[in-house]
Formats: sequence, C-alpha cells, structure tokens
Amino acid sequence: MSGSNRLSGLKASTKPTAPEDIRKVDMVGESRGFVDRTPRKKPGRKPSPRTMQLHPKVLPDIGDRIVEEAERLGMTQGQFIEHLWRQYENQARTE
Amino acid sequence: MPVIVLASPKGGVGKSTCAVLLATQFARMGAEVTVLDCDPNKSITRWSKHTMPDGITVHSDVGRSEIVTLIKASDGDGKIVIVDLEGIASQLVSRAISQADLVIVPMQATALDAEIGSEALALVREEEEALNRTIRHVVVLTKTSAAIRSRVQRELEEQLQESGIDVIQPSLVSRAAFSEIFAYGRDLTDMLNDSTMKTGGNVAAALANAQAFTEAVYERLK
Repeated sequence: MSGSNRLSGLKASTKPTAPEDIRKVDMVGESRGFVDRTPRKKPGRKPSPRTMQLHPKVLPDIGDRIVEEAERLGMTQGQFIEHLWRQYENQARTE
Repeated sequence: MPVIVLASPKGGVGKSTCAVLLATQFARMGAEVTVLDCDPNKSITRWSKHTMPDGITVHSDVGRSEIVTLIKASDGDGKIVIVDLEGIASQLVSRAISQADLVIVPMQATALDAEIGSEALALVREEEEALNRTIRHVVVLTKTSAAIRSRVQRELEEQLQESGIDVIQPSLVSRAAFSEIFAYGRDLTDMLNDSTMKTGGNVAAALANAQAFTEAVYERLK
C-alpha cells in the first residue's frame, strides 16, 4: 500500500458551508441532543492584577508591615484597613 | 481529497487511535495529512509532541466556531483531513459530520458502545436528509480479540449489516503497539524498525492490521 499515485484519484469535494447550511445542521444535531457544549467563559469584569500598593502617603516601612499583617490574617489590605478603622472609631467613641 | 471524521458520543472507543493509524498510514502512502484534534483529552496533540512523521500537520484545540472554516482551509486535492472528535454529543460533532466525506464510528463489541454509537449513525442520516447530501458512514469494531471472533462481536456485526450499516473489515485488534504509539510518537513502521521503541507486543501484526484497515478505508473513499 504505497505510492502517492493511488491517492491522486481522490479529489476534494464541495461541502455545505453556507450559514443556512450550518443552521440546518445545528438544528438537526440539537434535536438529537448534540448541543453547544463550548465551555462558557466566567462572566463579569476580570479581576485587576494585584499591585500591592497602599496609599502613596503611607510610609514604606508601615506599608510593608500592613501588607505582612494582612497576609498573616488571610485578608486583603483593604479589609485589614477597614478593620483598623472600626477599631479607631470605637476607640474615639469611648474617649 | 477526503475529509474523514471519527465520531462517537462515547469516549474510549478508539477514535484517536483510528485517527493516528489512518494519518500515519496515509502519510506513508504519500498524502499530505491534516489532523484536527477536537478532543479535550488532546490525545493526538500529545502524540504530535513527540517526533512527528513527515507529511502530517496537527491542529489542536479546534472548537465549534472554527471547525467548518478549518476543514475548508485544510481540504484540497492531494490532502487528507482527519477529524478526531470529542466523545460527547455536541454541536461540534454535528458540524464536523456535515463536512465529512466519510464518517467512521468506532465501537467496541459491547451493547453499550453499539447503543451510544448508533446515536452518531442516526445523526449522520438526519444530516444527509437535511443537507440533501450523501455522507458515507461506516462502523469499525475496535479492541477486538486477536485470537478469536467472539460471539458478541459476531452477533453485533450481523445486526449492523442487517440494518444496512457498512462494517469495515478488518476490525482493529487490541494491540499494545496501538496504545504505545501515543507514548513514543512517530508510526508503527518506525516502531517495528527501531529497537529503542519497546512495546512488548507484536508490532508486525499491529502494522499489518493498521495497513489493512487503512486499505479498507481507502476503498470507501474512491
């Protein structure tokens, strides 16, 4: 079974590629359960990359300690700062 | 040249093995072969990561939206397109079938494989009606015994033939070399001639089986 001359008799044939043909094919397939199973992309805005930046006026050494403590507590810096703010407010009320 | 589509909504029936065997054997015959890997398991892509035989191009991760255009772009005189589909009932499968010159439905000789495989055969017939176009379709039994033709296999072949379904002979026998080709890449002829490619099976018999199978497929493409 060798020799490309044997294969030369096989010619390409025209296939139904028009949009209406594909619609028909999709309809026939769907009626037998051959439905679109393309994995859906996660909806919504993609999360922004983490910059690890704090407010520019926070001094770097304090910023680093906030980052470390937030990581240790398993929360974001924003959540940690909210937590600190609530403590500050409570303290201000009692004074 | 022809577009050959390997289809069955059931996984593990031997679609990728058939695809690799046909691609390598047709490439040996001198054809320029394009294989479209539409299977999320990426068996063909994994095989192609090893040394690839000459004359074969593999496209990976082919999805529903690009299958028709990619088949059209790959088809042409002097070329053979082989589409290895995912083992589920999807729109990707129905679209690929619509572009086929020959649909091969591999199935093991079990009632479950026959039942699920018949879904693909029914879909081909309905697409033929909808498109007013003949799409040749055949069944090949896979992973059969080298020693005996079992009663179940015999009965299934008879049932398929009674239903007017073309069953390719020979069946694809369960051979270690057919599995090992995915580990080593290249093709069965290389495996036979290269002592570093160790399969523990009868490579010569596997090669003869693959050649006879490809010959039977070729007869149906003429």
